[in-house]
Formats: sequence, C-alpha cells, structure tokens
Amino acid sequence: MSWNEFIYFAIGSLLFWISGTILIYTSKGARLGNILILSGIVLFGSFIVGLWIGKGHPPLRTMGETRLWYSFFISIVGFVTYLHWKYKWIMGYSVVVAGVFVFVNLLKPEIHTTNLMPALQSVWFVPHVTVYILSYALLGAATIASFIAIKELKKGEYGLMPLIDNLVYIGLGFLMMGMLMGALWAKEAWGDFWSWDPKEVWAFITAGAYLVYIHARILKFRLNLLLWLLPLAFVLLMITWIGVNYLPAAQGSIHVY
Amino acid sequence: MVGKSERKRKIAVEEVIIISAVLIAGLALQFFSGPFDKRFLAYPVNLVFLGLLALVFFMKKGAALSRMASGTLSVILLAAVTIAALWMGLVPGNMVKVSWPFVLLYLMLLVNLTAITALRLKSFSAKQIPFILNHVGLLVLLFSAGPGSADKSRFFMTVMEGSTEWRGEPSGTGKDAQVVELPLAIELVNFSMEEYPPKLGVVDKTTGEAMPLGKPHFFEGTLNAESQIARWEFRVDSIVDRPRYAPAAYVLATEIETGTVNEGWVTCGNYFQHFKILDLTENLCVAMTFPEPKSYTSNVKVYTPDGQVKAAEIEVNSPMTVGNWKIYQFSYDTQKGKDSEYSVFELVYDPWVIPLYIGFIMMLFGAITLFWKGGKK
Repeated sequence: MSWNEFIYFAIGSLLFWISGTILIYTSKGARLGNILILSGIVLFGSFIVGLWIGKGHPPLRTMGETRLWYSFFISIVGFVTYLHWKYKWIMGYSVVVAGVFVFVNLLKPEIHTTNLMPALQSVWFVPHVTVYILSYALLGAATIASFIAIKELKKGEYGLMPLIDNLVYIGLGFLMMGMLMGALWAKEAWGDFWSWDPKEVWAFITAGAYLVYIHARILKFRLNLLLWLLPLAFVLLMITWIGVNYLPAAQGSIHVY
Repeated sequence: MVGKSERKRKIAVEEVIIISAVLIAGLALQFFSGPFDKRFLAYPVNLVFLGLLALVFFMKKGAALSRMASGTLSVILLAAVTIAALWMGLVPGNMVKVSWPFVLLYLMLLVNLTAITALRLKSFSAKQIPFILNHVGLLVLLFSAGPGSADKSRFFMTVMEGSTEWRGEPSGTGKDAQVVELPLAIELVNFSMEEYPPKLGVVDKTTGEAMPLGKPHFFEGTLNAESQIARWEFRVDSIVDRPRYAPAAYVLATEIETGTVNEGWVTCGNYFQHFKILDLTENLCVAMTFPEPKSYTSNVKVYTPDGQVKAAEIEVNSPMTVGNWKIYQFSYDTQKGKDSEYSVFELVYDPWVIPLYIGFIMMLFGAITLFWKGGKK
C-alpha cells in the first residue's frame, strides 16, 4: 500500500468519525456512534499498517508521516477521553483536528525517498516518534479544554480542571518518555545524550513550560493567569514539532526532515 | 488565611530578588571573564561539589532547608531555565549554554532539587516513590550531565584496513588538533558497506530538475523494475554491479504514444568511472542517483594496556563499549563508498555513564507514574 490509496482510507475514516460524533449527541444513537468512531479508528489504523508494510519500514520519518500518526492518535485520545469523562465536545474537537491533518496530507503530500539512513535504523526510532506524537495529541486536547475552562472561570466554574490536569500529566508523561528515549538513542548513535540541537532545545522549552504548569498547579497559583500557560505551551510545542525547521537559529539541525 | 498568603507572596518576591541578584552576578562574571569554561568543573572539582550537595542531606529539617526546597523557588527556576532555553532557540549563534548566568541557574536548580529530595526522604513513605523517581532521577541526570560531563572527552581515530591505530585527535579542537596516544588500540580487520539500490529518474539537463516538475518521481534501479514518468514507460532490463565500478542499469524507455523505444546503459558513476545518461529528448534524459548507504560496518579488534583483546562489529547505532570508553562508527572514505580503505571512529570517554543510565531509568519509570497519577478521576 502507498500514499496513493490514502484518500480512500482518509475519506472513509472521516465519514465514520463525523457521523459517529453526530450520533453521540443524540440520545438514541450513542451506542452506534461509538461503533462508528471505533470503525473509523480501525480503518485509519489499517492504512498505517498497510503503509508500513508497503514501505518496508515504519512510516515515521517525514512530516507527512508524523501528521498521519497525529490524526490517528488524536482520534484515539478524543475517543478514550470522551468514553471516560463523557465530554462529547472533546470527540468533536478531535475529529476536527484529525480532519485538518488529513486534509493537509491530502493537499500537500510529501513524497520522500523510502531509504532509511543508518542513523535512523534503531529500535528507538518507532517508540521515540510515536510517543512524542501521542503526547502532542493529549496536550492539544488539554489546550482546547483550557480555552473552555478560561470561559467557565469567569462564571466561577472549575469543573474542567481535573480533566485538564489529567491530560497534562499523561501528556507530559509521554513527552518525557519521548525525550528520554531520544536521549538514549542519541547516545547509541553519536555518543551524546544531549547536544542542544535546535529540536532538542525546543523540546526542552516545551517540557519546561508544562513542568512550570504542573508545579504551579500543585502550589495553587491563580487560575486566571495560569490557564493561559497551556495555550502558550502548545504554541511552543507546535514550534518544536513544525516550526523548528523554519527558524534561523535551527539551520543544521539533525532533526530536519 | 490572608496572613498566610501574604507571607507566601513575600517569600516569592524574596526568591525572585535572590535569583535576579545571582543572575546579575553571572552577567558581571560573563562580562569580565568571558564564557564559562566547563573544564573548570573536571575531577576533582565536581566531586567536591558533589560532596557539598550531599551535605544538604544532613541538614536538619528547619527553616533553612525549607527555604532551599521551596516550591515557588522551583517554579521560578523552571521558568527562568525555560526562558534561557527560549533565548537559545531563537537567537542564532548564541552562547547561552556556556554563559555564566545559565550555569548559575543550573546550579541553583541542582541545589533546589537536592533540598526538596532531602526533605522528602526525611519523611519517606511508599507514596513518595513517584516523586522520588522523577526528582532523584533528574538530580542524578543533571549532575552527571552537568558537572560530571566535564570529565568527558572525545577523540576521532582513522584506521586503515589491516592496520592498528592508537592515536586519536581530540574532537572540537579544530585545525590545530594535537594527536594524542590513547589507552586503546583499534585494529580494523575489515570495513564493509551495504547500499540501497540506486534510483532512476527523468531529469531536465538544462535545469537539473527531476520530472514531473514539483513532484519528482524516482524508481528503484533493480532488475525488471518498471515505472512510468511523463510520457515514457521504463523497464530495467539488466543490472551490473561489480567491485570498484558504479552500479549500472540497462534501461528501456518506451514513449507511450508513439511506441518509440530508447535504450541504453545508465550509471551514476563514481571515483573510478564516469557517469552515463540515456537521452530521451534534447533536454530530458534518464539519470541515476548515487546509491545511499544502508549500513556500514567495521570489524575490529580492540587492545587495552592490560593485555585484553576484544573483537566486535561496530556500526552506526551499535557502538562498542570497552570500560568507560565507547567506540562509535563515525565515517569512512565517502569518495570511495564501499571501496573505502579506512574507517573513522569516534571514541568517547565518560566515567559518568553509569550514573547517567541510572538517572534515565529512574526518570523513565517516573514518567510512567505520571500516567497513573493522571488516570485518577
């Protein structure tokens, strides 16, 4: 399987996701809605598996490939969070974000050489990238929740805070794992755990921002200021993921793809 | 309650003042003595520092220890380090990581982290395990990667096939590198390399751009490979890959509309042989890309002064460990590719590598505890 077949899987999954999400808002169709959303996830996942087999290596190297995983994970994160916390909007949001990344991939397919250079041939490759993308998906969901929480705060409501904190904790857990595994890999590949490569600097900045958030939460800082840290941290995260390649300070990064 | 939050605010303000004072002192040091020289921290200075940090663990629970372990202090320091990193990430050619203010921030973070772990360990319970994993892990990591890394050294060593070498060039010293004798000798038994099949594509000779424009397509130059680019169908009829020579493919190009067939040898060429293309039109031709390396391996024997001999295969992502040394496959003669007669190794000496791995493992488990913490309703 190759990117040529992506459109069928992408459109199919989106149709499942959108119709499923509409159904969960109705009282009768919730069960069917869940089944449809799950089918969309399975269909999308099967494309990733097919692409993996077709390429002969995990599709994790190019920006387009990481976007593929992001769509996949955000739909799972949204679905699991919705099942656990019963917030329907999180499913709706996840579908929108997954859709955006699907369309970016459809409109701007990045076809790259399929050859994996020796430094990327490592057992760390798959866990390092997937764990990062998964954490981006979780932290993206936390960001949207933070906007809603900022609105609710004005009415004196704090109901979303446990959800936000949990998403940040789990997201940060994955972010830290991604960073640690990257460091262990770097040691095997070129002798240094950490070399302040631009992508590393930005990954550090992102982790720093979320660390400030969770410590400030424990210390009960005022929410009307602290909640704005989450959108800000997510902007930093997006720079780490996508923006780094365009920064003047980042020319010559080993993470450019 | 009001009194308590008032007191908290006062403490936070004091902390900001103290940190600012330290950072200003750092800027002054930077101004008068230039960037921080990491070698200053090399053994035994880092061990003395470690001893001083260890003293924190013997401090009595009280005002002094609590102030050093303050949570607001942690938040301010974390924010300051993040801002320093932002500077690092935004300003081209900056020297933040070797600047005095950054080093002093790092130091304050180490003290704060040590104090808070010391405080928590004094009232240890199983509930503290996630905290300990994350914070002690980070402490061990930051110490080994910071003051500890001053003991680290790296060398490059070029070894000819069939010979033994023990002299290395310290890395990062540039042109005036002094070659030094190392306590390791490497014998390169054999260097070998695997390449991906080369790729074929249609290229405009006048611009060098590959077709179709903006969305170039290449296909693998393997036997019987078929592809379609622009208005031609291609088939690889035979492949030749001999030692020293570059890979070559015999390509049949059929113009779909007319059925006209163009055929001939195409090769990317190498240090030994000229490249060859197959013309399709006046401007367009079939060309081959250089094969990309798939893997390269050095078969070595390593000798140490105490008479030990260790044989190994060294590859990218698969270094060899000898005591506190790690030997990495670094490079080869890229002009000659798989015919390279030498291999370049990077040798890294790091006596802190074991504490570093301990820190990593603790933090990995610590990260997992965050899922459990975040999974609670």
